[in-house]
Amino acid sequence: MDIKDVPCPFCGCLCDDVKIQIEDNRITGVENCCTLGNAKFLSKSRLQHPIMRKDGKWVEVSYEEAIDETARILSDAVRPLLYGWSGTVGEAQVVGVHLAEEIGALIDSTTSVCHNPSILAIQEVGHPGCTLGQVKNRADLVIYWGCNPIEAHPRHMSRYTTYADGYFIDNTATDRKVIVVDIRRSDGAKVADEFIQVKPGGDYLVLSALRAMVRGKSDVVPDSVAGVKKVQLQRVADLMMKAKFGAVFFGLGVTMSRGKYKNVRNAIELVSELNRKTKFTISAMRGHFNVYGFNEVLTWMAGYPFAVDFSRGIAFYNPGETSVIDLLEKKEPDACLVVASDPGAHFPKSTIEHIAAIPTVQIDPCVNATTALCQVQIPVAITGIESAGTAYRMDGVPIRMKKVLETDFPTDQEILERIVTRIREMRADG
Amino acid sequence: MLSFIYYIREFLRPKWITTFFTARTPPLTTPPYFRDFPELTDKECTHCLACMMICPAPEAIIVTQHEGVWRPEITKGHCIRCGLCIEACPEDVLASGRILAYKKEEELTLQGTFHIEINQSTCMGCGNCSVACPVNREIDPALRSSGTSTSDEVIMRIDTGQNKVLHEEKCTGCKTCEDNCSNKAIRVARVVEALQGGEE
Repeated sequence: MDIKDVPCPFCGCLCDDVKIQIEDNRITGVENCCTLGNAKFLSKSRLQHPIMRKDGKWVEVSYEEAIDETARILSDAVRPLLYGWSGTVGEAQVVGVHLAEEIGALIDSTTSVCHNPSILAIQEVGHPGCTLGQVKNRADLVIYWGCNPIEAHPRHMSRYTTYADGYFIDNTATDRKVIVVDIRRSDGAKVADEFIQVKPGGDYLVLSALRAMVRGKSDVVPDSVAGVKKVQLQRVADLMMKAKFGAVFFGLGVTMSRGKYKNVRNAIELVSELNRKTKFTISAMRGHFNVYGFNEVLTWMAGYPFAVDFSRGIAFYNPGETSVIDLLEKKEPDACLVVASDPGAHFPKSTIEHIAAIPTVQIDPCVNATTALCQVQIPVAITGIESAGTAYRMDGVPIRMKKVLETDFPTDQEILERIVTRIREMRADG
Repeated sequence: MLSFIYYIREFLRPKWITTFFTARTPPLTTPPYFRDFPELTDKECTHCLACMMICPAPEAIIVTQHEGVWRPEITKGHCIRCGLCIEACPEDVLASGRILAYKKEEELTLQGTFHIEINQSTCMGCGNCSVACPVNREIDPALRSSGTSTSDEVIMRIDTGQNKVLHEEKCTGCKTCEDNCSNKAIRVARVVEALQGGEE
């Protein structure tokens, strides 16, 4: 059996044109999907039962026992942390936010360690963005700044920006220009018309120089800015100003390098500057397939996109204080629930040590680096393959994830609802 | 420094100078098998680009149009004088040494196809090559408009996470795919078969 137009539950591109072949409730073929999504669709290894540490050993337990233990850990905690959320759908995230409010927890997502600075910058100066459809149909200049779409979002160029035909572009091959800005000659640089190699930490300076040039103040720019020659910057500034529609995409090279949200703010202000002369947009290259969705869900429920602390009974947002890394660095949480992400593989060592030191529960279909830090792991259906729901693409377009395989595993949403119910029962018991 | 002085002294000896300039060597002659740079004959170029496609040296030969007339141009600095363009040209526009003569005598024709090779360990399945391919774009409108392959008639498409070649025979050797592959995972190679005696 073939199922068409399946959205891929891997990266923020959320390609919804994947064709899946299914035989005997197993995926046997995947078409139109890049190597990353393909690996997820065809992955075979998963955790079969809930597991719990007893006397230092992993023991298989029932779902009831695992949920009981999770509810006990969370309701006993004074400062629980609920982290992850980007690899699951909005429906489960809603239950997560309810749970956080119920137990007065701090809830944060993977946004905190990726595009957190982008959100801070957007809150300061706004977001001149657009959908990827607009970019595909209109953009004659695409700029990738501090990101490598070929490795992280493989189909971004072929599907949304560079290669696919645009409705308002006569000849895609000749009329579109691509500029790549990075600290090293990344894979994406090979197909770029112009590659700007910035010295590490020099993005802010280069953005400022381009802003000056766009403003017509080229004379204030020195001969070399962060390793980039003035002639090249002038060439790029001219390309930007001549473009009919430019689209900037930026990644963690801008957000997580020296300057952080100031870099993004400067990039947004460059785009605003360019909008006085032509049409320009800027968008973040979001990582997990539904990281944007968590920002949406938390914003409509709590008023803030990430790092919300419910310990006061109200939604309190103060990144730097309520963001996950800062919180773990101060060793504040005394219990942790990890859902649909893998902090064990990405967080700094000191914070991982604290996750391992406190009772931690993970809800995830597979054994991963975080498993080693946990007391309990509850396996669930794979979202987007075995369970449906709503996810948001990197440009904020909601896409309905499909269920293509039948499974006995409960969904993230079901497990979280059972945890909330159990906590309420425990509290009613006194 | 001492050796430098020694050499100067050695080369300035009258005996050495006399021997060097009066050496009796056989006169230089051009052997019959010598292949010089290709030259134009008076035949008309039909702009089939067979010479460009067979040429192993980058940019040694290009076919250009001047005042409405097509003709191949040789860049001598790049040409390695292999003579393949002369053998490949169906109109005998080029000549060099005895190549054109034996080509006619042996009824030599060159048949070229293209072989596409994907490096499975580096291909990310990004689809840049299959969406950029001009032949694919003609065959599958969905592929060119949204990167979604819907046809099995295309040269190549993304399947199980990597680019898969379906119809190599449709490749025209333009190498657009190579130019647009970020991690050099795709290579297009000429496969040339030489046929003698007018065989087909």
